Amino acid sequence: MPDEQELVKRCRAGDREAQRELYAQTSERIYALLLRMTSSRDDAFDLSQSTYLRAFERINQFDGKSSVATWLYRIAVNEALQLLRRSATARGKLKELETRQPGDAGAGADIVRMDIDDALGQLDGDERAILLLRYQEGLDYRMIAEALECAEGTVGSRLNRARSRMRALLGGSYGRREEEDVGAHPRSSG
Amino acid sequence: MTCDEVRRQLGALIDGELSPDLRLDIEPHLAGCEACAAELDELRGLASGLALPSVAGVPSELWASIERGLDGERTELLRRSPGVRRMARLPWALAAVVTLAVGLGLVGLLRNDSSARASSIDFTLLLDALPHDAKQAFTKFVSHYDAKEASPEDAKLFAPDLNFEVPEELPGGFRRGSVYVLHFGELAGVAATYDRDGEFLGVVFHRPVHTGHCKPHKDYPCVAGHQEGHKVSVGQWRLVHLMDPTTCHCVLSRLNEQTELPPIMSAVAPPLPSGDGGRHRD
Repeated sequence: MPDEQELVKRCRAGDREAQRELYAQTSERIYALLLRMTSSRDDAFDLSQSTYLRAFERINQFDGKSSVATWLYRIAVNEALQLLRRSATARGKLKELETRQPGDAGAGADIVRMDIDDALGQLDGDERAILLLRYQEGLDYRMIAEALECAEGTVGSRLNRARSRMRALLGGSYGRREEEDVGAHPRSSG
Repeated sequence: MTCDEVRRQLGALIDGELSPDLRLDIEPHLAGCEACAAELDELRGLASGLALPSVAGVPSELWASIERGLDGERTELLRRSPGVRRMARLPWALAAVVTLAVGLGLVGLLRNDSSARASSIDFTLLLDALPHDAKQAFTKFVSHYDAKEASPEDAKLFAPDLNFEVPEELPGGFRRGSVYVLHFGELAGVAATYDRDGEFLGVVFHRPVHTGHCKPHKDYPCVAGHQEGHKVSVGQWRLVHLMDPTTCHCVLSRLNEQTELPPIMSAVAPPLPSGDGGRHRD
């Protein structure tokens, strides 16, 4: 597998094989993020397409300060947020995404998942994005800050707010409010 | 530390972003406070729920659509909103469907949705819904591809390039229910349902798709006797694929792959006439 710098260099030169390789390395994650952000296969398809077209168009602007994957997340999230803001009916869309995992035995687990995805669909796009980047995609606070183009020190408080909204929407034992964090969120030094 | 102070840090704690010093302050509190410990568990549960990845694979036609954009449609594609782009894909796909449908007098089956855009097949529609109700999942899947009920004879006329059989009865006592003609984009497909005292079995026939396009599938070695194929399992259900050069034969069932399934595969996937490249490689 070519290293990232070399891959980006070849993409800049318009090398189709390199573009395809970059797509192959990242598309599952990008598509999964967009699918869960929009709850629509069609929207996820279109947004993935525009994400990669924009990425290849702007590959010269990639400065290498973040990983190329984080840079793609940034483009994908921006594309998704634009769509969600444009679409007044986005939250009411028919959910196409079935939530069950093949082979999962526990019906209870499925119910939890359904609730979580329903609640996720009720959040603002920014809240959805930060939760998915953290928990589905596994980005740390620094990478989230790069992807969302926000101050790293605000990531914790944004997450707290998004989690609080999720818990309020989920109700029951989830409903207890996670107190909002303030700006000076202690963080590890590493 | 008070409970409020601790709870403000629980998010950072589950995210692994808490400083070691603060963590040392919090842990004794959590060990002795049931309410805060319960809240921590709750947050971990929420994080786990959010972490569950989607099972949906990347649509096989996505890269092709990106390449089309790279080859010259980029400006136009980016200028439009996603909704408009989706509509813009329809004409060529619909034209292909119309060509088939008019020839067979099936114009009434046309549906104006995005299912017509792909010549590959998104089996996640079927696989994701299997645990709920397999028969319903199968119906939903074929409906997505513009299913129209047909006789076995009409199905063969509809898909003359496919090599398949839908006998009235399959080995093991499965009785045929409905036969459908399908549209996988511009390509014809056929499906049929079978029943054995309430036990469902479904078959789908389509043109072979490059294995690289079978994104949701996991490949397994030889799972149907000595025949070439692969399968994906969802709980007790198995979607087993058996390919010859003209046709991919897919059987959805809960049958034993070594004993019950091979004769059924043979019944729905007849040998090709010699000269067609052979099939069922050992």
